[in-house]
Amino acid sequence: MPSETLAPDLTGPRRAQRRHAARTLRLGCVQLTDAAPLLVAEELGLFDAVGLRVSLSVESAWAALRDKLAFGALDAAQLLGPMPIALSAGLDGVKAQVTVSAGLGANGNTLTISRALAAEIGRFPRPLPAAAFAAVARRRADAGRPVTLGVVFPYSSHNYLTRWWLASAGLDPDRDLRLVVVPPALCAQRLADGAIDGFCAGEPWGSHAAERGAGTIALSSGDIWPNHPEKVLAFAAGYALRDPESATACTAATIAATRWLDEPENKAEAVHILQRRIFPDLSAGAIGAAFDGTAEGFMQAAPLRFRTATLPRREQAGWWLRQMRRWGHIPPGIAEATALTPWRQDIWRAAAARLREVEPPAPNPPPADLPLAPMPETRR
Amino acid sequence: MTLRVLLVDSDGDRAAAVEAGLVAAGCVVVGVVGGTAGLTRAVRDSGAEVIVCGLDDPSRDELEGMRALHRDEPRPVVLFAEKAEPEQIEAALEAGVAAYVVEGMAPARVRPVIEVAIRRFRAHQALRDELAAARQDLEERRLVDRAKAVLMQKHRMTEPEAYRRLRRMAMDRGQKLGTVAASIMGKNPK
Repeated sequence: MPSETLAPDLTGPRRAQRRHAARTLRLGCVQLTDAAPLLVAEELGLFDAVGLRVSLSVESAWAALRDKLAFGALDAAQLLGPMPIALSAGLDGVKAQVTVSAGLGANGNTLTISRALAAEIGRFPRPLPAAAFAAVARRRADAGRPVTLGVVFPYSSHNYLTRWWLASAGLDPDRDLRLVVVPPALCAQRLADGAIDGFCAGEPWGSHAAERGAGTIALSSGDIWPNHPEKVLAFAAGYALRDPESATACTAATIAATRWLDEPENKAEAVHILQRRIFPDLSAGAIGAAFDGTAEGFMQAAPLRFRTATLPRREQAGWWLRQMRRWGHIPPGIAEATALTPWRQDIWRAAAARLREVEPPAPNPPPADLPLAPMPETRR
Repeated sequence: MTLRVLLVDSDGDRAAAVEAGLVAAGCVVVGVVGGTAGLTRAVRDSGAEVIVCGLDDPSRDELEGMRALHRDEPRPVVLFAEKAEPEQIEAALEAGVAAYVVEGMAPARVRPVIEVAIRRFRAHQALRDELAAARQDLEERRLVDRAKAVLMQKHRMTEPEAYRRLRRMAMDRGQKLGTVAASIMGKNPK
């Protein structure tokens, strides 16, 4: 590898060779249950079936996945819902256009709290009412020990759904408590160490923390916005333009995988695939809970679903944008049309037609937009 | 001029090689953080001007979080990759991701890459400023809403009356609406 990498000779032989090599679609995902459609598509040979060669890599961080998609080291990736908006706006210095061709799932995150915090709250029903949490959070803030919650990434459904839930009880998440970013795989350990008091992360990390005895699952993200859109399958915009056939085929294989995943008789095999591929250190019980629709044995009102969430819907993504504006995470000058450009339905429709997949039923509307400031009289 | 660098890399052997490269390039490595424990404190305490981090390091998201959620004095983050195609590095620089390659790293090349990253970071400041202004605006609206609610409760005013009172106070004192709201909130905490 030459060291003169800043001014590479783009006409060099390496590039010429690459242009003529047979193309493999480079796809990235992270260690989460809702990477299942991609892993299953590969394991069941669904990519092969649509004539695609795919190399699926498991990335160590969302930022790494994002950067690789932005600069072309990956052609497509599993992304958090708000990430395409952040990329369109160039937040934090990385600007790229991506194309969202499918949703990978709905629901599937949990808010898990430490045993100590649960004891402070006392007995509570599940889902934990925000007001019960807020009473303890205010007490802790007044005592100078604000509650610290982990979310997986700044521009994540986890961050925005958690913030909405906190604000619904009159808490100001930027003032009354501390939100920090913790990678999902480290959440259980941080909770056990007392570094955080709770976290919102995709499964199986909440079930894993509960199984370890580090915490207890207080609620699921579907309790905040039932059937909210979760991860998406996104292509580098240039890739989708250059090779629409591969983008469509990949999307079709992914939709086919979601159909397989939502069949209850495939659960055991799905859990086995995930355990072998990305969760070698986790129990089948912790991985399987999301498929059973349970959290620590409690039935979830809106559990993880795959097939019903595949159609990408711009109006739903608009909720992420409104939350980003509400919390001052995106400059107000970024127009909605620009921010939501990545959400397109044409690739999904072309892919669905090949599978005779019908359009999923209209989803639940998002939670109401909350007033900007909690009123003082609701605070005490 | 020396550059104070905090190196974040959970791969010990590689970290040593990168550190040596940075030192040879005339940087001062003020700290090396491996793993993600204590990252926030290390960044705060290091006094580093720039953070150098592995592209694939598990700490990446926490570094992003410190920037986006806590608005700690932000510092440029320079990423390095062990392997990358030349056109990818070109594209990385275009996308705004500063990257350089460790394998065969020539010290003479390191310094310019970091300097490019710092320049780019400063250029990005315009967007940051816009964001900061938006946050300031939000903060002011929050304060005004809270102050209105206090006035409504204390003086049994309607919302428009409370707003008019605030505006009158601001005009009389020649202060901004947010400043007046803050002074009301200061006298009536929570």
